[in-house]
Amino acid sequence: MSDPILRAEGLTKVYDGGYRTVALEDVTLEIPRGSLTCIMGPSGHGKSTLLHLLGGLDRPTSGRVYLDGEDLTAASPRRLAGIRSRRLGFVFQFFNLLPMLTALENVQTAMLLAGVPRREQEARARELLRLVGLEDKLHAKPNQLSGGQRQRVAIARALANDPDLLLMDEPTGNLDSRSEEDLLEQVRAVHARGKTVVIVTHSDTVAALAERTVTIRDGRVVPG
Amino acid sequence: MSYWKLVWKNLTRRRSRFVFTLSAIAVGIASVVTLLSLGTGLEAEIRKQADVLGANLVVTPRGWCAYEQISVLTGESLPEAIPSETVRAIERIGGLEAVPYLTQRAVLHNQPVPLVGILPERMRAFKNWRVARGDYRLDGSHVVVGSGISDRFRLAVGDTVRIRGQEFAVSGILEQVGNRDDLAVYMDLAVAQRLYGAGDKVSFVAVRVDDIGRTDDYIAAIQSAADVDVVSDKQLLRSVLAIVGSVGNALQLIAAVAVLAACFGITNTMMTAIYERRREIGILGALGAGRGTVFSVFVGESAVYGLLGGIAGVVAGFAFSYFAAPYIGQNEFTAFVGSEQSVSVFDLGITIQALVFAVLVASLSGVYPALRAARLSPVEAIRYE
Repeated sequence: MSDPILRAEGLTKVYDGGYRTVALEDVTLEIPRGSLTCIMGPSGHGKSTLLHLLGGLDRPTSGRVYLDGEDLTAASPRRLAGIRSRRLGFVFQFFNLLPMLTALENVQTAMLLAGVPRREQEARARELLRLVGLEDKLHAKPNQLSGGQRQRVAIARALANDPDLLLMDEPTGNLDSRSEEDLLEQVRAVHARGKTVVIVTHSDTVAALAERTVTIRDGRVVPG
Repeated sequence: MSYWKLVWKNLTRRRSRFVFTLSAIAVGIASVVTLLSLGTGLEAEIRKQADVLGANLVVTPRGWCAYEQISVLTGESLPEAIPSETVRAIERIGGLEAVPYLTQRAVLHNQPVPLVGILPERMRAFKNWRVARGDYRLDGSHVVVGSGISDRFRLAVGDTVRIRGQEFAVSGILEQVGNRDDLAVYMDLAVAQRLYGAGDKVSFVAVRVDDIGRTDDYIAAIQSAADVDVVSDKQLLRSVLAIVGSVGNALQLIAAVAVLAACFGITNTMMTAIYERRREIGILGALGAGRGTVFSVFVGESAVYGLLGGIAGVVAGFAFSYFAAPYIGQNEFTAFVGSEQSVSVFDLGITIQALVFAVLVASLSGVYPALRAARLSPVEAIRYE
């Protein structure tokens, strides 16, 4: 496989809080640049753990993750924060918007953390919310939006700093089928703009979108 | 979006908690400001009173304590303890001017006011008093009053006042001089001695010397002529300020305890906020906030508590000291504060000190919660339900 943007080598994650749990064991995989990859598997088998390790949100017990050749597992917390801010975008199942901020402010916050000047933030946030069809909900707070609308705000926020890689954890897990269809349309559009997308999902509808699928079972990659 | 907007939105999401935490710090700072304001006013007033005494030396009975020395400056009533024979012995020393005081209390309209028995002409020359209205006549049936007494009790020339059961006509009202001389009733010394049963004694003697460079010689001369204590105006001022200062320090310590309690309130509020916002801290981490950013958001929130609580406390403190001052001027330590000149409505120095103190201690209160927040792993925080 040529030019992977993301590469994991022998990733193992063990939780040992009195009771030892192996969440992930010796996982090796590559994510090609510009691809749309789905990670599938039953609940509790390590999909989300793998996504968190790939995105530098957590550190593996052993193994390495490389983003464009840079070893994320060796990076300092400050460097990792910088990488998460500028090169990665996250979308979570439970939306995870900041409840006291409006849709516009939620998108701007991602830019604030990346050091984008205030005057640029608003124009870019408005444009992103327009792209996800929420130009009339700029000043709505999360509790004034439907699940589908919240997830679209989360996508706009994930794209705020023009990341190379979009990591989505069960993005349709809390949506009805119509909202799921709308969201997939957004994902297709993002991918069409050349972004690399990795989606953790249970949904066959979502998986149907993928160019490649990785299946995780009992913390291991199931050979395809 | 800005860092401070994020801080503000976090703070104001739970308004009642915000207001209560803010109130606690405001009360603490208000008590500090009140005491600083009253203390500063008191000290300024004491210095002013020491100047207007018009004396270089004060002759007091042997064995007087500093508390009684304060009363020399405040004009509170004092025991009569220096006989006229001693006063005459002091007067016989050349190169000085001696003015006896008998300080007592009279009651006008059921309120206590200082009454001073004086030698009328000698005191007038000593103090350079001028009469605003009426005549300067002090005898067995006439008194003069300061302008403050005239204003406070609406006394006009010719009105009568009853002192110790005897009626006196107000013969004159002195021109305002801007100190406690405005707030007393003046009576002929001999009449006051008779009325108050003081015999031929006075409370203390103010002395002005001709050659200030020879003050020590005058002190020695007075002490060899009579069995009395002599303090210079500077010594008197120092000992009074030392007492007032130590009382002030004790009060400020109590105020500091109030601020400390408020700081624990801030720490508690921030710790609660961290537990409530655990998931949000994780979101910020996922969006690229480093530990430093999370730390600064929480310390920033604490600092804003300090700043806003400080501003509210400064306003409340000055307002309280201004309105409360007349009600606490009832004893020797605080008597000066009762005069309307002594408490300033606003003092830039105190304001800056109080605000810096408030922001500093509030920020320090936020350090521990902020460290806890900064140490949270983003993924642990996101998983938290």
